[in-house]
Amino acid sequence: MYLPDFDYHAAASVEEASNLLGSLGTEAKLIAGGTDVMRMMKEGTLALKSLISITRVKDLKSITHDQEKGVVIGALATHNEVMLSPVLQEKYMSVCETAHHMANNQIRNIGTIGGNIANAVPSADFLPILIALGAEITLQTSSGSRSMPLEDFFVGPRQSVIKQDEILTEIIIPEKGFSGSNYHKFGLRRSGALAVVGVAVAVTMEDNLCKDVRIALGAVAPTPVRVPEVEELLRGREISAALLEEAGQVAAANCRPIDDIRGSKEYRQDMVRVFTRRTLRKAIDAGHV
Amino acid sequence: MKEQHSVIGKSVPKIDGRVKVTGQAKYTGDLKLSNMLVGKILTSPHAHAKILNIDTSQAEQLPGVKAVITHKDVPDLKYGISPARWDENIFCIDKVLFVGDKVAAVAAIDEEIVYKALALIKVDYEELPAVFDPLEALEEGAPLLHESFAGNVNTEIHQNFGDVEKAFSEAYHVRTDQFVGQRTYQCPIEPHSAISVWEGGKLTVYSSTQSPHYFQYYIARQFGLKMGDVRVIKPYMGGGFGGKLEPTGLEFAGAALAMKTGRPVKMFYDRHEMFAHNRGRHKQIMKITTGVDKNGKIIGVHADFIMDGGAYTSLGVATAYYAGAMLPLTYEYENYKFDMIRAYTNLPACGAQRGHGHPQPRYAFECHLDMVAEDLGMDPLELRMRNARQPNTITPNDFKINSCEMEACLEKAKELSGWQEKKESLPSGKGIGVAVGSFVSGAGYPIYRTNLPQASAVIKVNEDGTSATLYTGAVDIGQGSDTVLCQMAAEAMGFTYEQMKIVAADTETTPHDFGAYASRQTLMSGAAVKQAGEEVYQQLLEMASMMLKTDFRDLVCCLGMISSKTNPEVTITFAEVAREFFVRKGPLVGKGSYTPPKLGGTFKGAPVGTSPAYSFCAQVSQVDIDEETGEINVEEVWDVHDCGTVINPSLVQAQVHGALFMGVGEAVWEEVLFDDKGKIVNANLGEYRLPTALDMPKVTTDLVFGDELEPAGPWGVKEVGEGATIPTMGCYSNAIYDAMGVRVYSLPLSYEKVWRALKEKREQEQQG
Ligand SMILES: Cc1cc2nc3c(=O)[nH]c(=O)nc-3n(C[C@H](O)[C@H](O)[C@H](O)COP(=O)(O)OP(=O)(O)OC[C@H]3O[C@@H](n4cnc5c(N)ncnc54)[C@H](O)[C@@H]3O)c2cc1C
Repeated sequence: MYLPDFDYHAAASVEEASNLLGSLGTEAKLIAGGTDVMRMMKEGTLALKSLISITRVKDLKSITHDQEKGVVIGALATHNEVMLSPVLQEKYMSVCETAHHMANNQIRNIGTIGGNIANAVPSADFLPILIALGAEITLQTSSGSRSMPLEDFFVGPRQSVIKQDEILTEIIIPEKGFSGSNYHKFGLRRSGALAVVGVAVAVTMEDNLCKDVRIALGAVAPTPVRVPEVEELLRGREISAALLEEAGQVAAANCRPIDDIRGSKEYRQDMVRVFTRRTLRKAIDAGHV
Repeated sequence: MKEQHSVIGKSVPKIDGRVKVTGQAKYTGDLKLSNMLVGKILTSPHAHAKILNIDTSQAEQLPGVKAVITHKDVPDLKYGISPARWDENIFCIDKVLFVGDKVAAVAAIDEEIVYKALALIKVDYEELPAVFDPLEALEEGAPLLHESFAGNVNTEIHQNFGDVEKAFSEAYHVRTDQFVGQRTYQCPIEPHSAISVWEGGKLTVYSSTQSPHYFQYYIARQFGLKMGDVRVIKPYMGGGFGGKLEPTGLEFAGAALAMKTGRPVKMFYDRHEMFAHNRGRHKQIMKITTGVDKNGKIIGVHADFIMDGGAYTSLGVATAYYAGAMLPLTYEYENYKFDMIRAYTNLPACGAQRGHGHPQPRYAFECHLDMVAEDLGMDPLELRMRNARQPNTITPNDFKINSCEMEACLEKAKELSGWQEKKESLPSGKGIGVAVGSFVSGAGYPIYRTNLPQASAVIKVNEDGTSATLYTGAVDIGQGSDTVLCQMAAEAMGFTYEQMKIVAADTETTPHDFGAYASRQTLMSGAAVKQAGEEVYQQLLEMASMMLKTDFRDLVCCLGMISSKTNPEVTITFAEVAREFFVRKGPLVGKGSYTPPKLGGTFKGAPVGTSPAYSFCAQVSQVDIDEETGEINVEEVWDVHDCGTVINPSLVQAQVHGALFMGVGEAVWEEVLFDDKGKIVNANLGEYRLPTALDMPKVTTDLVFGDELEPAGPWGVKEVGEGATIPTMGCYSNAIYDAMGVRVYSLPLSYEKVWRALKEKREQEQQG
């Protein structure tokens, strides 16, 4: 395997990067940590003439809490920066834990949350938990920006609504008053394994009453998916073991996994059942974990 | 009887530890020679195809390209492990036999140009039907790989000792089970690489090799050179595990490119190419039948196996014999039958991987014996104790066993693990299992037919006597042989380890040794080193007795100090005497060589599995199974070894941990997978899942020693490197059964397979 030749542009600002993306066209792409882009170019599954780096754009790295917006995560924050962020550790430990269980330390040091999202891979770990927490994203060009709920971003495997000259700049977790959240990545070893299924939940509990809940699944459909059937089942109900098991079964019945080398469709479906139940239990009992 | 030792038996630091940790150690891939070119091999994209035409003209014209070669530019002599099965060419001539088969090679001034040139070579193929399953390959009408091997039969073995049929007819209970072992790959951390230099009619090859001698032999043979004109040097190495025992296209194509260009050529495999080259563990389909008496005493065993060899023989004929040969080592029974067919398929060739042929059959046998024990209502550990091999016995296939602490290993594992109590009290979901293993301490016969000794060594004491250099052909691939051999040299010489230097694994400067395979070096290379050290010791004491004017027999030398046994006042240093020796007589040199005694029977295949000595081990593991997901959490492992006298306790621990790591991976995760066109789909370390540090269980290792030392090994040493890999797969399978009452009949014991077995069990229970 050999990395083919390409031009490398180190953009100093989002505007510059956007202009370059626009003028160079579809044979150009952004590179953030490069953990995905480099691998694909080396393997020959991605052919590009130019890469535009945005790693010099420092203000895209911060993770802050804004009274109005909520928690704002810069797209260039690495997995380790997410994991170690005091703001996230205080508000959404579940997001830190998600980062903690991704890849390995080397990748966590350079891979970014923005790259994880823009990649639009169905098994990407940040997607379910951010969707469950109701995250919004901002896409920016040199002339303006738009924002949307993260769950509307994905179209299919490695496909999203992003336009050629758009750059994902921030991920915002608005204050929705969830009392707990949790993501479980079911992988085939303890470290360095991609998700066979990923289940994320965010709940608002009042005593034992489920006031609100959002559930998102990864690796079981062409994009990360919500399971409204389960959310409806649970909303406004008293939580019981039987109800959680039912939630798991409904989730399993409403996802469309495929067979691949990591697991069969049948296995994935049953794991959705098991981990929907267990993840709900954790978020209900233990808060943001 | 325990002897007192001063240097062996101690965890001295590894001799190469410092240079490795500080990054100074140079591996083959780090070496740069002036004027060096980079070479790469073009491989086949098809699993089975005729080569119609190869057009290299465009590649040759690319600026920077110095040579493009195909089969037309190299000798067409076939190679492989044994003359009857030479079946592989440097480059394919008429057809390619697997995705990754060697077709052409390029040398150019840098890596980038090499890749570009490879893409410019045009090969026209006519695709042929391919076969990927050993059972299908053996069916009539299956696509044929090699004209000279009808029915795709690469190796066929039928061995029969005693009378198995009679034993079964007289047995109290007879049971048959079938298991499947998967294809795995060694995955050494250091990729294969080789640098070939052709200068003045002499070929020098730096290679990441487990056997410089074997490489020298085959490279010389291929190119019609005298062995003396081929020098193979092994720089520092990052593991081999069997995959670097035979020369690859890197040495052969590299040599041809160096000869053609007159410049040094560096060749290497990247991770994907390593997987495609393979030579890893064979997939085996293993049917096994055992007859026992009322008390659980085994009276007969029939092993009926088929293995997938891939496209070439590689070292696989030995693997095929080993698969059956080593089963009778651990338990005593007289009647044994072994049938095996190694089939050719259009997949990468399989070869020797740590434990060579034995781990999978052992998995099958150990699972099967647990099921026999259950049929008899007997504790599985008890059944093993009743059958455990005793010292000074002979196996049905004529292997002579000297020391053997099989029973003590089981006893100790039972005690350490708290077996009895756990058997009775572990909650549902948790379980324990036991399995055993055994392995050769060096193969009794050389890797190719020759009467050369197995090992030899020279020790040269420095002129002023303050240091000594050991010259040995033994190969340190990371396991620490340089360290233990220096310890042994120092012990035999009465010298200190800290003052030992070593020159090893270079066919020109070091005396012959077959290298690192079959767990042979501690015993075999060690025997030669001991002899060399004793020769130095002898000469030194003779000189000392002249200098001190005392009787030679009154002197001893220990840790560099010579003293009188009777008069403690009389002392003189090793260094002083050695210096005087040099002044009066010239270099103080000792030499040794080792040839094993004649071993084994006379039947076909009798040499495979013979060894001067055998290691034994028993393992107990405790697992916790998630009954909903099938996840296997191994909570603890107790590993007990009879590996003879220990030269370096830390290195024994390291071998046991490393072996367990590989055993864990093969038991639960590792498997090379292919698509329906024979292309590997997980040729990377992301999807070919080796365990990580987090996946390793807690392990307690212990050693047992018999009353008598192993007579065949220097100071009573045996092996631990490969034997330790053997029990784990069966051990885990048995623990899973104990925890959940389900048996997974194929490796790896993946979470999904356990989940499926649990699901099927639940469904059956609901119906029943
Ligand atoms: C060994 C290994 C293990 C891995 N393990 C995991 C794992 O456990 N879980 C997991 O989810 N992923 C895993 N990955 C995948 C990958 O590392 C992550 O998805 C990572 O987050 C990608 O981020 P990056 O910055 O490296 O992206 P890059 O490779 O730089 O980019 C990826 C894609 O996103 C685009 N992009 C990047 N940033 C932006 C932006 N700000 N705006 C618009 N587009 C952008 C790029 O153009 C490219 O198309 C693993 C990868 C490797 C190599």
